[in-house]
Amino acid sequence: MTTVSDQPTSAVARRRSTTEIEQDTPQWRKVLTSDPAARVTSLLAFVLFWVLVSALYDRVPGPVAVWTSLVDEFSRGEVFGNFASTLYRFGVGVALATVVGVAVGVLMGLSQLSRAFLESPVLVALSIPAIIWSFLTVMWFGFGDTSPIVTTFLTSVPFVVVNVAQGVRGVSRDLRDMSATYDVPMGRRVRDLVLPAVTGYIAAGVRFAIIIGWNGVLLAEWFGGGGGVGYRARFWYDANRYAGFAAWVVLFVGFIVLLDRLVLDRMIQRSFRWRDSR
Amino acid sequence: MTDQLVMGTDTGPSTPAPPDREAAARRTARGRRWRRTAVLALGWVAIYAVWEAASWWFGSRLLPRPHEVLQSAIEIIETGNFVGDFSASVLKTFAGFGVAALVGAPIGYLMGRSRYWRAFFHDGVTIAGTIPAIVYAVMSLIVFGLSNLGPILAVALVSAPYVALNVAEGIRGVDQQLITMSEAFGRTPRQIRREVLVPTIVPFVFAAIRMCFAVAWKVEALTEVFGGRSGVGFQIRTEYQLYDISAVLAWMVLFIAFMLVIERLVLAKAESRLLAWRPEERGAAL
Repeated sequence: MTTVSDQPTSAVARRRSTTEIEQDTPQWRKVLTSDPAARVTSLLAFVLFWVLVSALYDRVPGPVAVWTSLVDEFSRGEVFGNFASTLYRFGVGVALATVVGVAVGVLMGLSQLSRAFLESPVLVALSIPAIIWSFLTVMWFGFGDTSPIVTTFLTSVPFVVVNVAQGVRGVSRDLRDMSATYDVPMGRRVRDLVLPAVTGYIAAGVRFAIIIGWNGVLLAEWFGGGGGVGYRARFWYDANRYAGFAAWVVLFVGFIVLLDRLVLDRMIQRSFRWRDSR
Repeated sequence: MTDQLVMGTDTGPSTPAPPDREAAARRTARGRRWRRTAVLALGWVAIYAVWEAASWWFGSRLLPRPHEVLQSAIEIIETGNFVGDFSASVLKTFAGFGVAALVGAPIGYLMGRSRYWRAFFHDGVTIAGTIPAIVYAVMSLIVFGLSNLGPILAVALVSAPYVALNVAEGIRGVDQQLITMSEAFGRTPRQIRREVLVPTIVPFVFAAIRMCFAVAWKVEALTEVFGGRSGVGFQIRTEYQLYDISAVLAWMVLFIAFMLVIERLVLAKAESRLLAWRPEERGAAL
């Protein structure tokens, strides 16, 4: 952090110490180039860009139009019901994916043979696009809760497996050899050696699963007809009312960003604490 | 990596072991390799079995059996239609990568070099990385309508954040001693940029593109499903609207196989050629 911030200034003006430069910079410049100011500037730049694009292309709704349709949607009472049903499907799917993914990933990381066996199924599962799953599950299970749940599960489980397997393989080989030498029972090996080392990878895998699964649930709802966020967004898209669609985009992007920032990022940093705090 | 190490100790020709022990070690190594291949094949058999079982469960109208899909895949190949659609999809994907590299690499460069620009771009780049692909696909359609530019924009939007983050990471990892040395020898900042910084960016751009290749072609196909006029996604949508599921799956299988081949052969080769000047890092970059 510090080395990066020092480097450019010292490269531009050699022969002057950093404290001299620090004292020379006027106060207003310091305020303008501070980190929070940079964030505000980037937000303003984004809004400006949005306004410009919406002025250039009349198909793109501007911020004001999106805001009004967002308020409309809230006053119609469509937001909470649809969000609740989507969240239920998404939660069940991701929870299933986490449980199954961790189990399979630990198995895959621990033994060579199971890795060889599961390698190709995981590769295949990773490469099947979410759209195919949503097509298939909508046909299989109809317009209900099942098809988004299954789509979420199927799209996100391979990511959990891959991450967990990588974490398990990264467990210190010496410790594993030692527990093999001393005949430590498998249950204790998993509980005391593997799980603490793998928690961070599980967290990273779950984060991936959540981001991928959110896309899966939206797609399944888009092509299914059983209500939910994706269905509602499609409703506005099909009606050629892009402001309504953009309002829903704001809602579900805002949701995933908040979830990622407030919950997942912290979770990951917490579980990698033992490694990163050097 | 660990397997190779284990193998190496087993078969290592340099170890001065008695011939009978060496032969025994060779035999165990061969046996292990053989067993691994057998289990790998068993994995494919398992995929086939699960597919057969599922299509028996759902009925072959809802999930066609593997050999039916194979048949439609052969039909698609025999008619020769696939060449045009495949090349359209691949070209759009790579065009999107080009745009992503052009936009993402400078952003990553700024983020890696200056603290202000890092604070400026950081939020936007991380948020752009978490936005679901469906949003990019539909947004590109709204902006460009039914044209080939939509998929390109979607691929660019999906991969630019990866490129930016990776390049920023790479720039920050540049050997500071090299920069200090160049300054000590009186190189201008411009020379440092061209000779030290830019060569270090290239492998990171490539790594980013390889990393997000799997995501990118799926987004490309998704955009075509929503509103393309050519390409694999367009064919998938057409067949889905005709309820010809075995053709949908056949297109998907062909596309996945094709993209895996591109990923393994073309990208890996290009990367190793570009990185040939630093052989010691080739292993680590993968």
